[in-house]
This record gives sequence, structure tokens and C-alpha cells, in this order.
Amino acid sequence: MIINHPLLGPRDAAEFVYLGDAALIDRPDWQAEDAAAQFHAYGYLRDNPAGAHRELWYHEQGDRSWLVVTRDTLTHEITQVELARDVARARGRSK
Amino acid sequence: MAEFKLQAEPPLAGTDIQMGETRLTAPKDLAVVAIALPLGGEDKALKAIKVAYGIALPGPGLSAEAADGSTRLMRTAPDQALAIFTRADPDAEKVVAEALGDTVYLTDQTDTLCALELSGPGARAALERICPLDLHPQAFAIGAAARTVMEHLGVFIARTGEDSFLLLSASSSAGSFLHAVETSLKNTN
Amino acid sequence: MSQQNRIEGGLVNRAKPLKFSFNGKAMQGYEGDTLASALLANGQRLVGRSFKYHRPRGIFTAGSEEPNALVHLRTAAHGEPNTRATMAELFDGLKAKSQNHRGSLEHDLMAVTDFLSPFLSAGFYYKTFMWPKSFWEKVYEPAIRAAAGLGALSMKEDPDTYDKGFLHCDLLVIGAGPAGLAAALAGGRAGARVILADEDFLPGGRLNAETLEVDGMPGAVWAAQAMAELASMDNVRILTRTTVYGAYDHGIYGALERCTDHLADAGGKPRQVLWRIYSKRAVLAAGSTERPIAFGNNDRPGVMLAGAVRAYANRFGVAPGREVAVFTNNDDGWRTAADLVAKGVDVRAVVDCRDAEPPVSLPGVRHVRGAAVVNTVGRKGLKAITLTNGTTIPVDCLAVSGGWNPNVHLTCHQRGRPEWRDDLNAFVPGGVLPVGMAVAGAANGSMTLSAALAEGRAQAEGQIEALGFTPAKAEAPKAADEPRLAAAFWYVKESTKRAWLDLQNDVTVKDVKLSYQEGFRSVEHLKRYTTLGMATDQGKTANIPALAIMAECTGKTIPETGTTIFRPPYTPVPMGALAGRSRGKDFRPYRLTPSHKWAEANGASFVTVGNWLRAEWYTREGEKGWRDSVDREAKMTRESVGICDVTTLGKIDIKGRDAGAFLDKVYSNTFSTLAVGKVRYGLMLREDGICYDDGTTARLGENHYVMTTTTANAVLVFRRLEFARQCLWPDMDVHLISTTDGWAQFAVAGPKSRDLLRKVVDKEFDLSNEAFPFMACGEITVCGGMPARLFRISFSGELAYEIAVPARYGNSMMGVLVEAGKEFDAVPYGTEALGVMRIEKGHATANELNGQTTAHNIGLGKMVSQKKECIGQVLSQRPEMIREDAIRLMGFRPVDRSKKLIAGSHLITKGEEANMENDQGWMTSVAYSPNLGHSIGLGFIKRGHERKGEIVRAVSPVHGSEMEVEIVSAHFIDPEGERLRG
Repeated sequence: MIINHPLLGPRDAAEFVYLGDAALIDRPDWQAEDAAAQFHAYGYLRDNPAGAHRELWYHEQGDRSWLVVTRDTLTHEITQVELARDVARARGRSK
Repeated sequence: MAEFKLQAEPPLAGTDIQMGETRLTAPKDLAVVAIALPLGGEDKALKAIKVAYGIALPGPGLSAEAADGSTRLMRTAPDQALAIFTRADPDAEKVVAEALGDTVYLTDQTDTLCALELSGPGARAALERICPLDLHPQAFAIGAAARTVMEHLGVFIARTGEDSFLLLSASSSAGSFLHAVETSLKNTN
Repeated sequence: MSQQNRIEGGLVNRAKPLKFSFNGKAMQGYEGDTLASALLANGQRLVGRSFKYHRPRGIFTAGSEEPNALVHLRTAAHGEPNTRATMAELFDGLKAKSQNHRGSLEHDLMAVTDFLSPFLSAGFYYKTFMWPKSFWEKVYEPAIRAAAGLGALSMKEDPDTYDKGFLHCDLLVIGAGPAGLAAALAGGRAGARVILADEDFLPGGRLNAETLEVDGMPGAVWAAQAMAELASMDNVRILTRTTVYGAYDHGIYGALERCTDHLADAGGKPRQVLWRIYSKRAVLAAGSTERPIAFGNNDRPGVMLAGAVRAYANRFGVAPGREVAVFTNNDDGWRTAADLVAKGVDVRAVVDCRDAEPPVSLPGVRHVRGAAVVNTVGRKGLKAITLTNGTTIPVDCLAVSGGWNPNVHLTCHQRGRPEWRDDLNAFVPGGVLPVGMAVAGAANGSMTLSAALAEGRAQAEGQIEALGFTPAKAEAPKAADEPRLAAAFWYVKESTKRAWLDLQNDVTVKDVKLSYQEGFRSVEHLKRYTTLGMATDQGKTANIPALAIMAECTGKTIPETGTTIFRPPYTPVPMGALAGRSRGKDFRPYRLTPSHKWAEANGASFVTVGNWLRAEWYTREGEKGWRDSVDREAKMTRESVGICDVTTLGKIDIKGRDAGAFLDKVYSNTFSTLAVGKVRYGLMLREDGICYDDGTTARLGENHYVMTTTTANAVLVFRRLEFARQCLWPDMDVHLISTTDGWAQFAVAGPKSRDLLRKVVDKEFDLSNEAFPFMACGEITVCGGMPARLFRISFSGELAYEIAVPARYGNSMMGVLVEAGKEFDAVPYGTEALGVMRIEKGHATANELNGQTTAHNIGLGKMVSQKKECIGQVLSQRPEMIREDAIRLMGFRPVDRSKKLIAGSHLITKGEEANMENDQGWMTSVAYSPNLGHSIGLGFIKRGHERKGEIVRAVSPVHGSEMEVEIVSAHFIDPEGERLRG
């Protein structure tokens, strides 16, 4: 597979490490009332879509950027690649 | 005078292999310092770099030589670059600190990395055996820089000339690194 | 033996004769021959024995689809079995031999199996060897194994080398036949970066095998001109002898280049290169493969595919027979007859199953209309054929054409499903092709030369236009549309003798019918039941006729019956090529510690720890085994001082205004409050609350920390720190970089460690306990100004330091430390003594932090701060994770001190039965403690902290061992920590 890195262009997937669902960016608030339940869902529950899937890839043998890759699990077609840091900020994560 | 003296033994020191017109050497006394751009302090840092080196910090995928030719700056990540220059003493970080002050965070990588220089008409054919990147001049022009994986090793590669490349990899695996490049050279020349 | 079947013409170089041998018999061929063409030139029709029935077999094709002519090339360790003679390029001195016979090829003792064939039909394994049951292992299986298989391996290490490589292009053209050449020319002339790959050593494809003309010149001449033009273009790379064997995601193709197989001596270069080709676009121009017609005894040496027969005549100047007949269901078969006549070969008859006028007029050649071949005669070589009309015609070669199959294989490597075309009686590419692929020429069902040339060009132009190139204006090559009408005729029903479909696996028409009768009707079942389409040729010639017969049985159409899925590789790829350089010690990279050279020179044995080689102990003269060395090292360290290279521990340089706050997030305990110049032990949790990694982190400056990780987790911790930095807390000013390799770090441990370091550290640095207490750290200089870092930390439990210098000085530093320590009897120690001392001290490592245990289990529950956010904090507080009766890390010692504890033993309360229900925990780490003089262990046991002094049973059913052990503190040595603070 080839991942089109937003800064570096197309790179072989061999340079990357796969983590999984990009929902891992949405780490729950540790002080929430139901933090335990939220962290349980965060840690253990995953969607398994047949089709578009937003997932985290780490450019370990490259610039060490974490990326959010939108990949069709049926065809491996990659429709979007974003820097995970940008995605995290857009989703309200900060410090 | 101290009772004991330490000898420097860089892992690839003295490497000089010639195959036809292509040559593989370990550059002597190459110092490498990582520069991190502080979050929110990027403008200040970039300005300091421009003043110190006479060039703008190259963008992702690029490297460039300072105006005086003393230092190569290689962008390695959105907020990180390497300054590569010649320095025998183990104080490379200080040298860069004098140039950039506290506008950036520095970490000496001289001993973390080891370097090989591959140059000559057979350089690209040799690298074709281990480097997954497209090194065609249209795709990887002089100055282009990247980090990729060669024979399981993370390697920084920069095109420093028409047919010359600078390669940097982890110093602990220097033996495997040299073996990988040397075997490629032997297999293709 | 003379080349009695060599005829005029062809593309071989008669000025360059080559000597070779087959089964020890000296023969001669020419440069440009394959082994197959040279064997045929020498009149060698019998070249091997079939897989199952040991039937005599000859050369059947002229290409990579060859099912029969599998031979053993070269000798001894260089020997390669199961090589297709049709693909082996002849070289001077080639030694080839036939396979799969006992005794000589001519008199194979195993040929008896052919007479047992009534008992050996498809599925015979499952029926015949059922009883008695006990016979399977002792009688049947060994006998079958001895009889099975084709070639034999030398069982010696492969002396050849292999390599891999990476290529990039705008346009990959697969196949250098007419369509491929037209495509490559279109791409090359437009300035696109083109790779043209062809499995043959002579590009041109069928142009070299036919007498067809392009632009008024012989096809082979046009091909050579096209190749010359392509070779002159800088933007075109030509890979001959290269099979593109697989189409992978996003335009990546796998290709095998046979670099030196055609040379007597590889000259030290890799034999083959496995290329990974990154293409923006591709044109598949893989051509087509002729298929046979099944009839009785159609496997005799001398029965060949018609296209192959004329390939031998036209390209190689070899007549595969002197008296030839053609059996065809299509117009193309007639070309063989016409070409042979033109070469002066005696064509005795053309048997056409169609009752129709001939497509070409061949005066003097007998045309048998609407007939078929039912049987053949000649056990070791064809002598005659019998027709459905009862006629017998003596011939020594029968050219059979059952029509042509487009080579759709690579179009199916992802999700493509071929579609049936009735007008061609063949499958053509269909469904979703691999991304970026277009198909041209015969591979796409454009079966005539003119169509192939036009489509090759058009497809390539479409591909490069999409990439922004403008096609060059050039004349289209001109060629004729040769007649290609064909009938759907798959096998001769009148044949009563065995009619062979898959020559490589000895599958007959009857076997397919049997498979149907027994209910194995889907093509996938058919394949498994009969082995049809397996092995090196993957049924390239056999699959479609077999499918047609299955369709006839089921009363369905062929497309309804389906086709098996093609997967990579298209043709076999040697294991050596897949391994590439990753063999023996080059299997993976190795990492050396900075003091490796010193250790080598001083008696160290090395152990692999991940990719690292670490000194495990240093043998001294007179020591008889490793225990002697390890005991001495551990004992002397505690008595005086020991030195150990601990560079392998991961070091991460952490800088930034938020570095402290960041560490608070990733460690369970707090680091933002750590004073500059101090070190703290840190425990990292996984998000699920399980322990992940531990180590010490030093604060060297306001915005500067240095984290250490375990050796094994260095890369993984770095990865998760980057995840935390970029994905979880993206607005923190924190920067990470590994310095693991940058600092040579040595543990200097033992009561004399301070005295030793005083001799090395520059005098201005005060090492006194007051100035540099336990858990202090700082940047210092050693040996007269050399920058260094000093940490007062202890893994052994002794007064201890870790001192780091730039790695290039590490080897020298080891020598200096040992030299400076001489007066104290300082010892270098390895990982084994390190392990012994950490067990003596009760420090947890990977055996205890095994991915199942919590901070609570290892007695560090209080380290999980409840006042701040950190990874793993929330889930670590789940009730199950902090149960009162949870397992706790404890020490154990045998009641009988002479006994040796066993790691992995389960702990059972005294008086209870040793079963899973009563399991109380397990022993994680054991060692002989030279300082205590007996075996000690660490382990987990329920409520361990409340059970000190209790005697329990340590049971290891695996070892058949059981002993009584006493639960003690995990800190066997200096439980109060007085030594390390001293």
C-alpha cells in the first residue's frame, strides 16, 4: 500500500506502523462522572466498518508524524490523509 | 592533567570503499545536532536560523547548505531539523547553541547517528537495491532529503549532488548499515 | 548426438554453438536456444516422468506455462529442481537431468504405478489408505512420501545470493509482445518514465514465434527495431528475463528478474532480484496461452501445443518432428501447418473438428474435416495417431490447438473476476481491475496482431494522458488481422483411453467427471479433489478445458460454473528470492553496545537482546561454566565494584516548556515537581491500567528531561509518547528525540563505586554523599574535560551510579573504568549478573511487568497518582484491578536451601491439591544468589504481603517438580536501602 503523506507525498506503507481506529484521539475526560464507562468504551469498543474507516498510522520510519488515514476496508482505497495533530486540534484537544 | 584519557572510536571511521567509479566513505568528524522548533516560537526560531545560517530552514523533504557552506540543514519533521557540519570535538550542541541561542531546543545526535557518503555514477543503482524511495532526479533533486527504511534500518538520505548521497543511520547498527550499502554497491557495480 | 532436428532460419546464433548435457549425454545447441529447443534439436523427445503415474513425458509448450518438461539444472548445491526447460536459457556447460524416476528415464521402475491407475484415480488417498488405521503412519505415509514429489533438493545450503530492489515509473508495461512494445513506445516517446518487463530473454513475444509482418518487415525484426528505439530512451528501463508475478495495492507490482541464471558463472552477483515496482499506471500485455484438447493418450512425448510447434520452427530453427500432424478446433492451428510446410517439414494431416473450409489453402496437405484424434500410439514417443473415422496416421509430432486463453491472471490479483466471451471461448479481464491497470492485446481478448498493436498503443496513451503527458505523433504500425475463428471443442468424447487435462498433476477427463459424481462440483472443490491446476504451472493450459467439462456435467454454462481465483505469483518465485539478503546472520540488523570491542577482547560471551548483542558474562581463566563467572561478578560487585554497559536501555531526550506536564500525563507518578538535578523512578501504565514500562527519568534542566525505558520497549515507548504528544495533547510544547545510541552508559555499582569514579570524574565535581546523594544527576566532565552525565541510581541495590559519555568514547571509557578500578578489584559484569542482582534486590522487570500485572500487584499501587490525569489512571482503579486479595510481588526461598527454584512454578497453599482452582500465583524469576548461597525467586502470590513467613508449595507439573518454599520480602539484599543511600 501507499500512503500519501500530507507533507512528504506518497510513501510505502512499510515505513508506517498501524494503530487502529482514529477514535483513539477522542480520549475521554478523566474527571467525568462516568469516566470509567467512557474509558471502557474508549479502550475496548471499536466499530468495524466495511467501507470507509478513519484510522491512525504512525510514520515510524519517516518523519514520525501520526496520520489519520481514511481507507476503504474493502478496497484499500485511501481517500484522505491528514496530520493527526491537526485532527486532534480540530476535535478540541489541546493540553 | 587527568590520569585517564578517552579515545574517540566512531563506528564507521575510515570506511573508504571504491567500486569502479563509485565510492563509499564515512565522512570524518561529522557532527549532527537536532533542532526542535518550540511550539508558538516557530517564527522566532526560523528567524534566528535565517540570521545564523543565511538561508531559510528548508521545508519538509528538503535540505540545504548554509550560505557559507559550513552546515547542511535537513528538515526531518514538521517541528524538527538536523544541522550537519564538521566538528571533531564532542561539543557540537554548543556550536549550534551559540548560533541559535535559546530560540530552539537542541539535542546532540552526533553519536546517535553515523554517516556514509555514496558518490559516483553507480550510486543510484546501488541504492535502488535497498531504498524504497524514488531517487530519480525528477523526484529527488539535489537537496532533497527524507527518512526511510533500508534493510530494516531507519535511514536519513539526502541528495548532495548529481550522483552523491549522504546517508545517516543509528550508530549502534553501524555494522549492518555499512553491510547493507556495501552489499548493494557490490551487487550492482 | 548431432542436432538432427535443426532446420534453417530462426533467431538462434549459429556462430555460437553451446555444449550442454542431458542425463550425462553430451549435446550441442546454439546461443538463443532454450534448453527445450536444444533438446528438441537433438531429437530428445522424452524429458521426464509424470508426477503420479510416471508416464513418459516430453516438451509440451514453448513458454512459462510448461506443465511437463520440468528438469533439474546444474549440480550439487547449485542444483535447482523443477525448472521449466522451456524457460531455461541455454549456456555453455549447462548440465541438466530429468526427474521423477527410479532407474533411468527410459526404464523408470516407478512406471508400474501407471498400471495401477484404476486404483489411483482422483481422491484415491481418501479411499484407499483408510484401513487398517495403524498402517497410515508406518506404511502408507512413508511409502507415499517416498513416491511423491518431482525433483529433489540437494539439502545443501544454497550457495547463490539473491537481492531485492525498488523501481519507480509512470508506466509499467508487462510483456514485450506486440501490444507491450506498442505501449512502451507510446509511453517512451511521450517522455513518460516507462518500465518494460518481459519474462523472455528475447523481447517480442509471439512476434518472434510467428511469420507475421509488421510495417512490411518480419515481426521479429520490427520487435528488434522497437527494442532498439526503447533502449535509446533515457526514460525507458527494459527488464528482460523478468516476470511480473503479482499486482498489489496502489500500483505496486512484484517482479522477479533472473539475472545470472543464463550464465555458467554468476560472477559473484546475485542470481535473481526481486523487484518491488511502484507504478503510477500499468498496461498489462501478458498475451495469451494456448490450451490443449483432451483425447486418449494425448500426453505422449511428441504431442505438443500447435503454437509451440511453430515457435520452435520459426524462432529456434527446430522441427519438433519430421512427420507432423495438426489437430485443431480453430483457424490458428492452421498457421502451424502453414509455417511447417514453408519450412519444408512434412505435414501429414490437419485434423479440424470443424466441418468447414480451411482458412488457408495448403496444397498437398491432407485436411480431415469434422474429425478428431481419439488415440495415440508410442509409449516413449509418439508414433501414430488414430482418428475418430478410424484412420491411423503415422506421425512423430502432433500439434494440438484448442484455442487461446487471454493471460488475465494479474487482473485478478485484487478483486477482478474475469468475464466469459463466447466469441473467443475464453475468459477476458473483467470486474474491477487493480488500480491504475489497463489491459491490451491478447491478454484483453484482442487476439489479432493488428488489434494488439493498436490496443497496446491506445491503452498506453490513455494511461499517460491521465498523468499529464501528451502522446507523440507517430505512424501506427501496420499489420494484418489474421483469421481467428474457433469452435468450442474441449475433449474427444469418443476416446476410451485416458484423456489428460492437467499434465503436471496427471488429472484426466475421467477424474473431472468423477469429481462431479462425488459431489465436488464447484471449481474450488474440483481443484482440491483432483489437484487440477496446482503446482508450478497452476493449470495454465489445463484449467479452462477442465472447467468446460465440469460445465458440461452440471449442465451449466462455463461462466456459471466459474473460474478459480488467480493469486500471485504468476509463475513460481524461488524461496531464495523471497528471502533476498535476509539469511543467516543477515536475517536482521544487529546492534552493538559501545564497549563491544572491549568486551570481545576480555572474554565476554554475548547474548542477543532484541537486535542488541550484550555481554552476558566475562569468562576468566579457570572458570568452568557460566555460573562460575556470573557468581563471581555478582559477588565482587557487592563486595567491591562492578561495571556493566547499560547503553541498551532506551533514552529519550524530552525538551520543551511543557515537558514536565507531559511526563505527568504519560507516567503514573508526578515529574513536573522533580527538582533539576534529580532522578525519579517512573511507572508507565497502559490505558487499561496494566503496567507497561518503567525506568528512571532525570531532570537536567528546567525544560529538559532524559527518560530511560527498558531495552525491549525503547521503540514502543517512543511511539506512544509521540502518540500522546501529537494526538492527545497536541498543544503542549514538548519535543522528543531518541539518544539511546548517542550515550555510552555504564552502571558502576558496589561499595567502591564512588572511589572508582573519583579517579575518572574531573576534580571540580564533588561526588560526596552530601553533594551528590542518591537519585542525584548532573552534567559533568571526565578524563580532563570530556562531557559526561552522571546519575546516582541503582539497579543492583548497591551504592551505584550510571555514567554516560558520548558513544564514540564508550569503548575507551569501559577500559578506563576497569583500569581505574584495578586497585579495588573492579569487575566488568554482564547481563546475567545484572539479573541476579536485580532479583536479589527485588526489582521488577519484564518477567514481572508481563502485560498482565498492575501497579497494585507489584506493590506500587500508591504510585498511581489520583491527583492528576495520566494514561491508565481511570481504568487502573477498576475494582478487579485493586482487589485486596490480588496477587502481590513477593520473594521466595526454598525451605531446603539446597534446592533449586524453577521459574514458572505455580504456588499452592500447603495441604491443598495442586490444581487450577487452588492456584495462588506463580514464580516469575529465579536465580542462584551467590551472596546468600542459595536459590531465590520472585513471584506473585495472592495476598502475598500478608503472608510473609508462610510455607507454600511450588509446583511445576511440566518439570515434574514440587518443593516447599517460604514467602519472604522481595528485597533479599539490604531491604532498608542503606547501601544505595550510603
